[in-house]
Amino acid sequence: MKEITLEMAEKMLQAAERWAELSGYPSSIAVVDKAGAVIAVHRMDGAGPMTTDISINKAFSAAYSGAPTLMLARMIDPRMMGPTPGSGGLGLLTQAKLRLMFIPGGNPIRDEEMKVIGGIGCSGVPDGVGEISDTTVVQAGYAAIYEEYD
Amino acid sequence: MVMNIDMAKKIIKAAISRAQEIDTLCSVAIVDERGFLVALHRMDHAPIPTVDIARDKAWTAATFRMPSSDIGKFGDPATPGFGFNTQNWNDRLTTIPGGLPIRDGDDIIGGIGVSGGTPEEDVTVCEAALAAVLKPC
Repeated sequence: MKEITLEMAEKMLQAAERWAELSGYPSSIAVVDKAGAVIAVHRMDGAGPMTTDISINKAFSAAYSGAPTLMLARMIDPRMMGPTPGSGGLGLLTQAKLRLMFIPGGNPIRDEEMKVIGGIGCSGVPDGVGEISDTTVVQAGYAAIYEEYD
Repeated sequence: MVMNIDMAKKIIKAAISRAQEIDTLCSVAIVDERGFLVALHRMDHAPIPTVDIARDKAWTAATFRMPSSDIGKFGDPATPGFGFNTQNWNDRLTTIPGGLPIRDGDDIIGGIGVSGGTPEEDVTVCEAALAAVLKPC
């Protein structure tokens, strides 16, 4: 698996949407390639218009940084400012033409050799309300491309 | 009838199969009647900027309720409405052909934008996709 095709992206979206439906919150889900460019975005019926751009930017942030946006959120946490001024992650806030998202719900997609080949992001499912969060939804999407290899 | 994700997926599928027939690589964007993105697919190996161009075309077509190619007529000083280019519109406005409003009778229910081929090819893909999906309705 060298790169994400549209077919794979649709498969991931299908699996992720099933989990978003289970959560009861309609949401937007986006898949980007390793350049951070959109391959496919879906906004489910009832999801707010804001969620599309947020899901795209979450997927972009994950592919760009190679880390889940959950970890980016940790980096800008004021309680983790580091030993010297500026050694925390606050400088990330203005990077990438302000496209970086610091809300959990974006995960990088890796191939078998752990190289980042893309990202997937979800927005619309609130965190901590039910069993399912944005992060759960993107993990379900990520797992879908590996299902055939099991 | 309002735009929903199932209809958007069907339109995109029809558009991509048409694009494969005429051998172009493109992105297809579907927006709802307010111009908000519903679904967007980029074909494998289609250039990266086509994503945003397709979305801009769809936005323009849906919100101005006319094909994106018609926006250019406002640049003619003889046309009523000349000068609208100096207004502070949303920066998604584009005059490139390849965006069409999606109609249900007299109502606008959304917009489609295709980017990747020549402007003529983009319009062909738009029209084929809308004809394939909306005719049975």
